[in-house]
Amino acid sequence: MNRIKTILTDPLVLAALSILVLLAMGEVLSPGFARGDQIIRLLVVSAILGMVAAGQSLVVIGGREGIDLSVGALISLGAVLAGNAMSGNDGGILPAILVAGGVTFVIGLINGLGVTLLRIPPLVMTLGMTGVVQGGLIVLSRGIPSGNAAPSLMGFVNRPLLLGLPGVLFLWALLGLGMWFLLRRTQLGYAIYAMGSNERAAVLTGLPVRLIRTLLYGLSGLLAGVTGVVVIGYTGNSFVSVGDQYVLPSVIAVVIGGISLAGGSGNYFGVMLGAIALTLLQSVLTTLQLEFWGRQLIFGAVLLLLMLLYGRTKQLRV
Amino acid sequence: MPPVLEATGIAKHFGAVVALSNGSLSVGKGEVHALLGANGSGKSTLCKIIAGTVARDTGSLRLDGSEVSLRTPREAEARGIALFYQELSLVPQLSVADNIFLGHERTGAGGFLDARQLRADTDRLIARFASVAGTGFTADAPVSGLAPDQRQIVEILKVLARKPRLIIFDEATAALDRRQVELFFAILRELKAEGVSTIFISHRMDEIFEIADRITVMRNGATVASFASSETDRDAVVRSMVGDVGIRDRVERAVPPSSGAPRLKLKGASSRRVRDVSLTLRPGEILGLGGLQGQGQSALLQGLFGALPFASGTLEIDGRPVSIRKPADAVRTGLAYVSGDRGRDAALHGRSIFENIGSATMVREKLALVWPRHLRPRFEAAAAALNTKYAGMEAPIGSLSGGNQQKIFIARWLATDAPVLLLDDPTKGIDLAAKADFFALVRNLADKGTSIIFYASEDAELLSLCDRILVFNSGAVSAELAGASLDSFHLTNAAYGEVA
Repeated sequence: MNRIKTILTDPLVLAALSILVLLAMGEVLSPGFARGDQIIRLLVVSAILGMVAAGQSLVVIGGREGIDLSVGALISLGAVLAGNAMSGNDGGILPAILVAGGVTFVIGLINGLGVTLLRIPPLVMTLGMTGVVQGGLIVLSRGIPSGNAAPSLMGFVNRPLLLGLPGVLFLWALLGLGMWFLLRRTQLGYAIYAMGSNERAAVLTGLPVRLIRTLLYGLSGLLAGVTGVVVIGYTGNSFVSVGDQYVLPSVIAVVIGGISLAGGSGNYFGVMLGAIALTLLQSVLTTLQLEFWGRQLIFGAVLLLLMLLYGRTKQLRV
Repeated sequence: MPPVLEATGIAKHFGAVVALSNGSLSVGKGEVHALLGANGSGKSTLCKIIAGTVARDTGSLRLDGSEVSLRTPREAEARGIALFYQELSLVPQLSVADNIFLGHERTGAGGFLDARQLRADTDRLIARFASVAGTGFTADAPVSGLAPDQRQIVEILKVLARKPRLIIFDEATAALDRRQVELFFAILRELKAEGVSTIFISHRMDEIFEIADRITVMRNGATVASFASSETDRDAVVRSMVGDVGIRDRVERAVPPSSGAPRLKLKGASSRRVRDVSLTLRPGEILGLGGLQGQGQSALLQGLFGALPFASGTLEIDGRPVSIRKPADAVRTGLAYVSGDRGRDAALHGRSIFENIGSATMVREKLALVWPRHLRPRFEAAAAALNTKYAGMEAPIGSLSGGNQQKIFIARWLATDAPVLLLDDPTKGIDLAAKADFFALVRNLADKGTSIIFYASEDAELLSLCDRILVFNSGAVSAELAGASLDSFHLTNAAYGEVA
């Protein structure tokens, strides 16, 4: 009995179960919801959410109330910069990735320096940065970004590449492996868990905690910027607030994935499942023809519900 | 006339630990009464019971001859007993007057603050101590603008504003320099003249003989002796603190420490809590840090490790000057630090035993990549060296008992082969079996050439393990014990300050 309970409260099992339930619900509400090509479309959307959530995961695991609310603005920035660099030409893809990734990485590092050196709470620092980036974007593009995606990029995101699956899904799988390698096979990964679990103890074993935390915000910015490139590949062109819709979901996916907002626990595979579950939920809600505010309300409620649920199990574990 | 306070047969236990078995104390009117004892002798617990912050299990407390309960601080305060806190509890933004009456504000009609009354009361208090208060000391002055010793006076006025009959000063002079101590004593004499009684806890024997009328000594949770200070001397007091004088409970080392070149040489180290400490440590030597708690022993170890860097001083390791500004420097230099406060300083909560052991190894060896399969045998060997009981390297650290957890945090450093081990009261709160394993390990490591600095709050641990002991008092080394002087008499004597 106890074992069943432990298994059922395991975040991974919970996420996998909710994926199955949501698929069934979608199929009942709208036959054809769970068809192969539909599922692939859902996975592509999940991949986009999953990429931002990867950066969010790192920042949250690193602890000290780590959270990056600037990812939405940085996705928009990445998409706009990439659009300008490509202007519809395949030759612009590499420069687009370099520019979008480079700029967002640096902005992420600035977030990190604000958090570590100036001791600004992450919530405030990244929220403030959101305002700065959004304002800058409007000035930069005069409100209407001019660039658009290269055809090959759009093909990579939307059209089958191998085994009927678009290239972006392979990219996401690669990111999953990369995250596992980073967290479980490098000193940096172990250090991230250590400082998220007990910062003082981490410092007392000689870990450069501030440096690592700065780097984590940089990586989160970089991943958001690259996500922006994928987003413009998905939609073809961009607008200055294209990334906003990913902020709350990126945090919820992390929590569904079993990463405690207190830091020091969880892994990225759970977050991948969380991104899929959340995308499914969004899709089911769209099928129900719920307005934007309705979806927002349910997302918020899901986050709070999960906090309640996992908050309890965490207390039991300690 | 009955004594102001008469405590007899007071006992208190916390769980299975007996903090106090038979505490007795009798304080007369206008008397300055010093309370002495080694760490863990029960003097703090007895004071807390008298001040009502801890409730006693058994025993009787009489004030002016009649039995009282004193189960809460409020009750004790209402009876005229005040406890003076060593830690400053002032609010810097508020004025002297506001601080003094914080929580006891004067109210007038309708429950509003009566600022005029408050001012008048404060002025009266200040006037009483005008000779010691110094300039710039007025009721309206913000506390943030006062010198540290003036703040101390505000702290005392705060206690006096409650018009107590008995004040307990627990280590009130610990943070004061000589001139401030004189000031403090002037206030004590003033109080004495007014018939206020004081219980005075200090770690400086010279101060005790200067100011106290009576001296009561505690040992192992019981009151063992009480003297009129004019009829006794330092030697007799220390003897009663120690008990069976001169018993050597040392276990001789199988391999004596090397007499070669020193491994570590510290010169003139100072920080906020350490004053001008110099020491040398040889390969294979176990150097103890003794004295009463909080005299700078921990601060010295944390200074060496870079967690609380020294403001001045030089450090040499194996003859080469090194600079340690942060723990990372120390780890790479080959220093290891084990704290007694596991939960705060060592435990990676919720993480596996593998991770809890591995963090230091990864830093020391600058491992970019981590292959658990290669590291696991080393970590298992380190844990086995301490007889650690655990289910497996992937079990969470929280699944272990306190003693086994501490073994894991020691194994963390064993796995790094650090040649210098800094132990900061490492056996705090662990069971006897784990302690025995730990002692065996420390001796074994030293025999193999590891240099160890060991601070313990229990004198018996120091005496049984160390080749040499530096005794600390107020952040400085008051004595060095070695050879024949390694016994509890010399240790206790030195803990109470240098012999005049």
